[in-house]
Amino acid sequence: MREVTATVLENIRIAEDTYSLTFACGEEIPVRAGQFCMVGVHGYPLRRPIAVCKAEGERITVCYRLKGGGTRTLAGSYKAGEKLSVLLPLGNGFSVKEEEKRVAVVGGGAGVFPLIAAIRRYAPEKELFAYMGFRNRASVCMEYEMRRGKKLVLCTDDGSVGYKGSSVQAFMEDIGEVKPSVVLACGPLPMLRALKSAAGGRLPVYVSLEERMGCGVGACLVCVCNKTDGAHARVCKDGPVFEIGEVEL
Amino acid sequence: MADMRVTLCGVELKNPVIPASGTFGFGREYDEIYDISRLGGVATKGLTLLPRLGNPTPRIAESHGVILNAVGLQNPGVEHFIEHDLAWLKGKTRVIANVAGSTLAEYGEICARLEGLVDFIELNISCPNVKCGGMTFGVKPESIREVTAVAKKNCPRTPLIVKLSPNVESIPANARAAEEGGADCISLVNTFTGLAIDIERRRPILFNNTGGVSGAGIKPIAVRMVYEAAKAVKLPIVGMGGITSAEDAVEFLMAGATAVQVGTANFTDTRASLAIAEGLNDWCDRHLVSRVSELTGTLKLN
Ligand SMILES: Cc1cc2nc3c(=O)[nH]c(=O)nc-3n(C[C@H](O)[C@H](O)[C@H](O)COP(=O)(O)OP(=O)(O)OC[C@H]3O[C@@H](n4cnc5c(N)ncnc54)[C@H](O)[C@@H]3O)c2cc1C
Ligand SMILES: Cc1cc2nc3c(=O)[nH]c(=O)nc-3n(C[C@H](O)[C@H](O)[C@H](O)COP(=O)(O)O)c2cc1C
Ligand code: FES
Repeated sequence: MREVTATVLENIRIAEDTYSLTFACGEEIPVRAGQFCMVGVHGYPLRRPIAVCKAEGERITVCYRLKGGGTRTLAGSYKAGEKLSVLLPLGNGFSVKEEEKRVAVVGGGAGVFPLIAAIRRYAPEKELFAYMGFRNRASVCMEYEMRRGKKLVLCTDDGSVGYKGSSVQAFMEDIGEVKPSVVLACGPLPMLRALKSAAGGRLPVYVSLEERMGCGVGACLVCVCNKTDGAHARVCKDGPVFEIGEVEL
Repeated sequence: MADMRVTLCGVELKNPVIPASGTFGFGREYDEIYDISRLGGVATKGLTLLPRLGNPTPRIAESHGVILNAVGLQNPGVEHFIEHDLAWLKGKTRVIANVAGSTLAEYGEICARLEGLVDFIELNISCPNVKCGGMTFGVKPESIREVTAVAKKNCPRTPLIVKLSPNVESIPANARAAEEGGADCISLVNTFTGLAIDIERRRPILFNNTGGVSGAGIKPIAVRMVYEAAKAVKLPIVGMGGITSAEDAVEFLMAGATAVQVGTANFTDTRASLAIAEGLNDWCDRHLVSRVSELTGTLKLN
């Protein structure tokens, strides 16, 4: 875990309300799929947590949706050449066991971005099936990255591209045929809850959670989630990835 | 190189910069980023007798130049701290154990448990007193005097810092109450009670509804309160509230503080506490101040 002053290489719009930001860290930083970084934005006391999509040597790419002031300022004020304070790599990331040969990834909304890293990591050595949900045609992005696996089902709420419905619905229609040994998922809570009731307990399902953060390093305890055993876990340090049965959604 | 050492209640700190309670855990996570032995000390997360789970989330929100938090004192309990973290932290720097209770007896018990084990005990009195309908211990002078006296009786050998709440009628009256109760030092400010609203949902952002406001935006109010406290009592003062730079720290020292704490700034910039300690040294060098302790209380009013 390091705090670096990175240099923005590119910060471009890739879909409706969606940006891709690539920065150079000045040193090679090893990042596992599913780990994230905390990006400092001028004028905001809190850094913004964003998943790492791609880590190639000293170059890191993240993708973000416009939400409020922080992400809007990030999109508007950080052109190529600007300095950016980044804390990384954070959290545990996904881990797929050697014997788990068939991997399904199920994503929705901004949850597709950490899964891009998982696809890049596991597509070369596993049978990988991706179910990725977007609002509509205009919000679809990174399709070439999502196609690295054996199968991609694009899903849109309005059916303007691909499957009409949620990525969980599309995945559950396929599950018998695909027979995944493990599922990696990220997305809005209702989506994760639907996945938990449909597939939780039947096979290992790992979810990446979102929670508001302060320090990002495990010290301040603002980012906790409830575990099913009654304890609290820090999303920033013990997570963001948890086995779906281990946490309350 | 200025002399950065300061003496607080007879205990020497290598510099006057201490990360504030609740923002730094027990120091382990930040020690992965820089060597925390370069700090004057560490104020621990608020400790209670028994482990506490704290509030549901969201526990944090942001507004212009400030944040709000309502963690609800999640901590592993004082025994866990003593067993797992204390020896490690003592090997690094001065340990300020921040403690909280919900009854007078609990404050007494936790101080007795830490007596002689830590460099300082910092009493967080911004906690609801369950026996007084939830009114916090830190609001009325009488109750501050009482909780301080109970604490001091149980830790006669450990310097006792009483951390004042800013959500009160009179800082001078409350500072004097702590002094009368037997405090060895006063720290301030804790957070200001605030409310942030999600206007789309017409609901507070924080699960707890209200939360404690901290960060750069509270600094001028905190500096004024530190000045008032320093004028009201003879005890040394530890100042905090919105410090994000060495220059901010200098303001607190001039207003009367012997040492300072840095909270929210650690979130904005992970290295903030260290950068402020180093920047303070540079500031002293540039201003031909040979000892940082010379700055304390040097403010002259117009
Ligand atoms: C581990 C993790 C990984 C993430 N990865 C991505 C990603 O790859 N791409 C992406 O678009 N978004 C991602 N998010 C969500 C992203 O952090 C928020 O969208 C962003 O912080 C919003 O900031 P804002 O100032 O635009 O919004 P505002 O709503 O104005 O933010 C106000 C405060 O709330 C926090 N906040 C708001 N929404 C969220 C949220 N969903 N999760 C956590 N904090 C939030 C902000 O950080 C800020 O402190 C991730 C969140 C987490 C926890
Ligand atoms: C997330 C968070 C948790 C805190 N927890 C405690 C605590 O446990 N005990 C305490 O006395 N103060 C606690 N505080 C208050 C700080 O120690 C400090 O008094 C306050 O934040 C003002 O300083 P700042 O503006 O530099 O943050 C907490 C503050 C924050 C932001
Ligand atoms: S954000 Fe501070 S502990 Fe997770």
